Amino acid sequence: MSLSPNSLENSTITEQLMLRLKVPTKLRNLEATLIIFAMVVTSAALALVDLGATGKLNPPIIGLTLGLGAIVLAMHIAQRFVARDADPLILPIVTLLNGLGIAMIHRLDISGGLTGWQANATRQMVWTAIAIVVAIVVIIVVRNHRVLQRYRYVWMLVGVGLLMLPLVPFIGTTINGARLWVNLGFVTFQPGEIGKIALALFFAGYLVTARDSLSVVGRRMFGVTWPRIKDLGPIFVVWGIAMLVLIFQRDLGTSLLYFGLFLVLMYVATGRAIWFVVGGGLFGTGALVASQFLGYVQGRFAAWLDSFNQENYDAVGGSYQLVQGLFGFASGGIVGTGLGAGHPGIVPLAESDYIMASLGEELGLIGVFAILTLFMLFVARGIRIGINGSDDFGRLLAIGLTFVIALQVFIVVGGVTRVIPVTGLTTPFLAAGGSSLVANWIIVALLLRLSDTVRHQREEAVGT
Amino acid sequence: MSELTLFVLRFGFLGLMWVFVFAIVFALRSDLFRHYVRRGDRQQGDITHNPSAESLPFLPPVATTSTSNPAQKLVIVAGAREGLEIPLESDKLTIGRSAQSGLVIRDEYTSTNHARLQLWNGDWVIQDLGSTNGTFVDNQRVSVPTPVPMYTPVSVGSTIFELRP
Repeated sequence: MSLSPNSLENSTITEQLMLRLKVPTKLRNLEATLIIFAMVVTSAALALVDLGATGKLNPPIIGLTLGLGAIVLAMHIAQRFVARDADPLILPIVTLLNGLGIAMIHRLDISGGLTGWQANATRQMVWTAIAIVVAIVVIIVVRNHRVLQRYRYVWMLVGVGLLMLPLVPFIGTTINGARLWVNLGFVTFQPGEIGKIALALFFAGYLVTARDSLSVVGRRMFGVTWPRIKDLGPIFVVWGIAMLVLIFQRDLGTSLLYFGLFLVLMYVATGRAIWFVVGGGLFGTGALVASQFLGYVQGRFAAWLDSFNQENYDAVGGSYQLVQGLFGFASGGIVGTGLGAGHPGIVPLAESDYIMASLGEELGLIGVFAILTLFMLFVARGIRIGINGSDDFGRLLAIGLTFVIALQVFIVVGGVTRVIPVTGLTTPFLAAGGSSLVANWIIVALLLRLSDTVRHQREEAVGT
Repeated sequence: MSELTLFVLRFGFLGLMWVFVFAIVFALRSDLFRHYVRRGDRQQGDITHNPSAESLPFLPPVATTSTSNPAQKLVIVAGAREGLEIPLESDKLTIGRSAQSGLVIRDEYTSTNHARLQLWNGDWVIQDLGSTNGTFVDNQRVSVPTPVPMYTPVSVGSTIFELRP
C-alpha cells in the first residue's frame, strides 16, 4: 500500500514525459508525411508534363526535383532541432506550390525549346535550392523573434536602402520599363522583394511601441480622433519615400503592395477601421490622378477596361498579353487541356507574370481552385499564428508577412483574370524569379519561427 | 502512350491535387493549437496539492469535484487585451510588468512584480506582492492571500480578469 502512491506518481511523471515528447514529434511526423505527399504530386506533375508534351518521360528533371525534395526534408530536420513546435502545414503547402511552379515552367521550356542552363526551370530549381538554404539559415539563426524588434530602425534603413538600390547608376537595370533590378554581373536581383520583409519588420516593430499613442492620443475632428503628426511621422516618411521610389521605378504592383501592408498593420495595431477609409480614399485619389497623368498607368487602365478593343490589343504594352492569357483560361475550361497538352507558350512572359494563365489552361478551373485553396490555407495558417502570437510584435509581424503573400496573390491573380488592372508582381512560389523565391521562403522561415514560439512559450504578454 | 491513358492520368492528377488539399484540411480539423492545455500537467498539479485525490485515486469523479474543481483558465474581461484567455497550466502564475511574469501586463499602473496566483488546496489564491497601486478582488483591496472564486473580477492596474472553469 505504501508503494502505491509512489508508483502512481511515477506513472504520471512518465506519462507527462511522454506527452512532452510526443506532441512535437507528432507535429513533425505529420509535416514529414505531407512533404513526401507534396513531392509525389510534384513528381507526378513533371512526369505528366513530359508525357503530355513529348510523349516520353524525362528522368533527369524528376531526379533534380527529388533533390529539391531532399533540401526541403533538410529544412524539416532542422526544424526538428530548432523549431520543434512549428506549424506542420506551412512547409508542405509551400513545397507543393513551388513544385507546381517548377513543373509549369518546365512545360513552358519545352514549348520554347529551352534546355540545360538556358531553361528557366533549371534556374528556378537552383533558386529554390538557394531560397530553402537561406530559409534554413534564418530558422537556425533567428531563435527568438523578439530580437528582431530591437532593430526596427535598422530594418527601416535596410528596407529603404534596398528600395533605392535599383536607382543607383551602373548596377540598376531596367527590364520591361520598370527599374527594379540590380545587376551584379553574375546575377540579376530584385532587391525590393527582400525590402518588403524589412519594411514589414519595421512597421510591426514601430507600431508596437507607437500603438497606444496612435489610438488614444489626438484631437477630434469630424467625429474621428486623428492621431498626432508626431506619432505618425516616421511611418509617413518611410511610406512617402517608398512611394516616390516606386513612381520613379514605374512599378504599380509593388507600390500597391507596400500601401496595403502599411494600411493593414495600422488597422491591426490600432483596431480602428478609419484607416481603411482614409487609406482607400488616398489610394483611390492617387490611382485616379496617376491614370490621368502618368502615361504607363493610363495604358494599363485602357488595357484593363477595354481589353478586346483592337486598338488596345495592338498597342505596344497594350492588352495583347492579358487577352492571350484570358484565351488560355478559356481554352482550359473546367478540367483543363491536361498538362503538356495546351498552348500556354503563346502568352508572353507566361513563366513569370502569367503563370496562373498557363496553369489555368492546362489544369482548368478545378486545378486553379486547388492552387488558390492552397494559398488560402497558407494564409489561414499565417493569420492563425498571428492571432495566437505570444506578444504584440509577433502578432503584427505574422499578420504583416502573411498579408504580403495574400495581397500579392490577389494582385497577380486579379490582374490576370481582369478583376483589377494588370500590375507587374510575381505570383508567390509559383512564378519564375529568384529574388521573389528567396524573399517568400524567408517569410516561410519567419512564420515557422513565430509559430514555434506560440506553442513553446506559455506566457502571455499584455500591453506593449 | 495512348490517348486513353493520358486522359485517365490527367483526371487522376487533378484528383491527386485535391486529395492533398483535403489532407491539409483534415490535419487542420483537429487544430493543433488546441493542445495548448496539457492534461498531464493539470493532473500533476492536482495530485501534488490535493492529498485527498492522492490517497483516494478510485473515488468516483463526483466526489473529487465537490472538494476541488479549480478554475482552468483566466479570462481578461477589461483592459488592453480584453477577451484573451490564458490556460492555467501549472499551479502558479505570476502577474506583473516584468518579462519573467507568467502574465505580463505593461501599463502605467502595474508594478514589476505585482501579484501571484497560486493553487492552494484546490483553490486559486491571489497574493499581492507589495504593488504600488494594489490588487483588487471584487473591488476589495487585497492585503493577505485571498481566495479567488470563479467569475469574480480581479483587477491589476487597468486590467480586469476572471477565473473560469
